Amino acid sequence: MPSYYVEDLYAQHGAALGLELIAGKEGLGRKIFVPEAHRPGLPLAGYMKSHAEKRIMVFGKVEIEFLRDTQPQTRVERLNILLKTPVPAVFVTRRYRPPKELHYLCEKHQVPLFRASMSTMNFISKLTQLLTEEFSPSMTCHGSLVEVFGVGVLIQGDSSVGKSEAALGLVERGHRLISDDVVKVKKREGMELEGFGAGLTQHHMEIRGIGIINIANLYGAVCVRTSKSIDLVVKLEVWNDNHFYDRVGLEEHFCNLMGVNVPYHVLPVKPGRDVVLLLETIALNHRLKRMGYNSAREFRNKLLEMTTGPETKKRGMRIGTGSESTSKK
Amino acid sequence: MELVQKVRVKNKMGLHTRPATAIVKLLQGCKCDVNFTYKKETINAKSILSILMLAARRNTTITINVKGADAPETMEKLIEAFETKFGE
Repeated sequence: MPSYYVEDLYAQHGAALGLELIAGKEGLGRKIFVPEAHRPGLPLAGYMKSHAEKRIMVFGKVEIEFLRDTQPQTRVERLNILLKTPVPAVFVTRRYRPPKELHYLCEKHQVPLFRASMSTMNFISKLTQLLTEEFSPSMTCHGSLVEVFGVGVLIQGDSSVGKSEAALGLVERGHRLISDDVVKVKKREGMELEGFGAGLTQHHMEIRGIGIINIANLYGAVCVRTSKSIDLVVKLEVWNDNHFYDRVGLEEHFCNLMGVNVPYHVLPVKPGRDVVLLLETIALNHRLKRMGYNSAREFRNKLLEMTTGPETKKRGMRIGTGSESTSKK
Repeated sequence: MELVQKVRVKNKMGLHTRPATAIVKLLQGCKCDVNFTYKKETINAKSILSILMLAARRNTTITINVKGADAPETMEKLIEAFETKFGE
């Protein structure tokens, strides 16, 4: 995970958060360690035990008024202790004018001091949300990500097995391409994986014999998406006669992507197998499973009912039909 | 067998389409996995779009990671190609 600095936050999200830098410009290179912000109520009151010094500090109405009410000497002492720490930055919300001691000490210790226009709670939640997003772990993987019937399908496989062709076929049938070849994956809230394209090559495809094509221009904006959750991983592989492929589909396989288990299918490819249709079917079947219906399991249950259920009923039925047919005769 | 080596991009215009094509052509048919790492981004070097995505500039360093049976020969060929600026 690359380091994230206060200047990155200011440059990328300064406008969204309504930030105004008022002191400590030299400290913009400070590192943000954790995606957390806190209001330093207790430390301002003098209780420094277990103080989380790596968190961003947010001064709201109460903190500013508390500082105004304390003696100037105490104010300087406590702020000095607070700002000597590796705190990344200090934010004052509601466009409050920070006490001059805070201004002076931020300059002295080179801690960036910002003023924000939002209310304190709104600001903290927005800031935490943005930072969590920036801090979420990510990786790059090889494959194509396509949204098929609303299901995010990551198509993987060795080079030249036909990933891009399969993705192109899906796009042609009205599904949406997120990225081909290079898919960036981000883990959101530790549970969900989100895939998106990588800057320059986003919505581009490379097809052997044709070259690089721009899907967004060729098929229109309706055929592309910027990001999508990864719900399913399908691995395309060249048909191997010695390998036994899943014939029933009762067992669900999972692959581990960044610590998240994602349903996984191995799809053998050989001439005459319509990969696009098969991928659509896998996606549809996945949707059906999520809706609570598992075709393979339902079929097995029906079969078990017939093979292990009360035999008399079954024989009775057979006799019944038999007698009917005889009576007709 | 796994080999790791750092190389410098010597081409004036960085790793643009022609060098990228040369790399993909060179790796065609080789039996090992080849990855490039550039600015903390690791990609599959057998895919031209992945290489182009890196947008590596001149005088930057790329870490090559080769894993597989014919790793030494592949690595040697790759380094030579980078050194000779892919014939440019």
